[in-house]
Amino acid sequence: MADIKVQNLQKEFGVGEDRVVALENVNLAISGHVFVSIVGPSGCGKSTLLNILSGIETPSSGTVTITQDSHDAEPGYVFQAARLLPWRTVMDNLMFVQREKDAAARERCQRYLDMVQLGDKGDKYPGELSGGMQQRVGIARAFSIEPDVLFMDEPFSHLDAITARSLRRELHQMWVKTKKTVLFVTHDVGEAVELSNRILVFAKGGVLKDDLNVELPFPRDPSDDAVAVAKAQVLRKFEELDLVAS
Amino acid sequence: MATMVSSAPSQRSRMRRVLASPTTARVLFPFFVIALWYAIYFAIDSRIFPTPLRVAEFMWEEVTLTSGVRYSSVAENLYVQFAISIARLTLGFFVAMTLGTLIGLGMGVSKSVDAFFHDWVVAVLAMPALVWALFFAVAFGFGHLAPVLTVIFAGIPFVIINVREGVRNTPKELIDMAKAFEVPENRITRHVFLPSLMPFFFAAMRYAYSIGWKGLVIAEVFGSQVGMGWTIKFWYDAHRAHGVIGYAIFFILFALALEKLVFDPLARRAFKWRPSMNAYQLAEGDFSGVTQEGLLVQEDQIGTTMEVRGMEGGPQDG
Repeated sequence: MADIKVQNLQKEFGVGEDRVVALENVNLAISGHVFVSIVGPSGCGKSTLLNILSGIETPSSGTVTITQDSHDAEPGYVFQAARLLPWRTVMDNLMFVQREKDAAARERCQRYLDMVQLGDKGDKYPGELSGGMQQRVGIARAFSIEPDVLFMDEPFSHLDAITARSLRRELHQMWVKTKKTVLFVTHDVGEAVELSNRILVFAKGGVLKDDLNVELPFPRDPSDDAVAVAKAQVLRKFEELDLVAS
Repeated sequence: MATMVSSAPSQRSRMRRVLASPTTARVLFPFFVIALWYAIYFAIDSRIFPTPLRVAEFMWEEVTLTSGVRYSSVAENLYVQFAISIARLTLGFFVAMTLGTLIGLGMGVSKSVDAFFHDWVVAVLAMPALVWALFFAVAFGFGHLAPVLTVIFAGIPFVIINVREGVRNTPKELIDMAKAFEVPENRITRHVFLPSLMPFFFAAMRYAYSIGWKGLVIAEVFGSQVGMGWTIKFWYDAHRAHGVIGYAIFFILFALALEKLVFDPLARRAFKWRPSMNAYQLAEGDFSGVTQEGLLVQEDQIGTTMEVRGMEGGPQDG
């Protein structure tokens, strides 16, 4: 688990007339074993926020503080596309991100491959796996470094509905089992309602518009009435907030 | 009548299928060439134009060293001529690969290095190998230096351009991934950057080799007293067409053998992660898997589209 504090975060791209504000004075605090979804229209800075939190990009101004249980741990990251090294086997892809290349690391990688039901695919190359399986490897890779915090950037948006649904269920179980802090970017409101305790709503221009709590018991079945009602409420909220206009 | 549908194909249609198959077509090609050759031979009735049989006879004599021809005091037979040419080609190839890779890397990484070399590379690329051969022969005489330099200058622009493109096509999304996981720089270089360069490096190798070979033969015709090119000219000067054609065929056979026995196995080893790939696809430096992902990643970047793309169950049906 981890505590994340974001203060007065600002991110701009370009200068002069080409200047685009990606994130506008964002403040938020996330702490403990929570699953936080970040939703909003395209170009609202969701991915940029994740990239800054994970250190891929630097903020224009403002501060980000991440306090973790284990000292000096890297965050785990699951991308929109699996982003596996095509010239490495599945197992080597997991080993690539391990700090120590010892037997313990190998055993840990195997355990997480088992957890995403790819325990017997360790010596396959990514090109030999389906899109859903590749994304599973990406998830196992993120978990295999046992991070306190896990960043996920629309990890299921390129998968077919059935594969995405079963992976969502797996992810939820892994989150329960491993007690991570998860930040999950999505444009799928149903997905956000199904998985998260908390939903951060961003509008165009990178403004944090709302911070919703989803108080439904887990596990949540998307075909369940209560979940459908919650989803409808969130969507109504979106309409009130008028996320595209600003 | 319905039972007829599932019956075995008749003798005749099987015959037709065999005749129409690509393998048959491939096997037929040499026979077709030889038939055409004979047709021309009888049509033009020339004393110099040889029959395929005469050429084959000549090649056999060369291979078995029974022709009795002594080419020069330095290189008396096929094997010595070949050895000299291969040594020159190998030396020129390695220099072109090494220098070309270094310059290509520099040009890919730095804009000012690119600007410095750019026009020079274009100029060298535009120069025919013949001009290099003549120029170096005039400048350095009829020794080994002129042919080797010709190989280098003919091949190096292709190496530079391919390696530079390789660097420019570095899969940024994989490097970002590695950075997000805090993988150290040297591991990123070794496991992400260098492997991503490999298809381009292989394309560079094939170009440097095949273009270098052609440059070498020209250089040896005009600026050497030994080697394969010179031997072809020897038979030309002697008005013996079977010698010219025979050596040209040796040359082709060698080039094919090197391609099949060296480059193909090397490529198969380096690209075993892409089982469906053959040597010719590799030469194109195609990297579809990675670039596709690159496009996908760009979709969510800031300020690209104004529409609320993909908001599932958006306001219109909410």
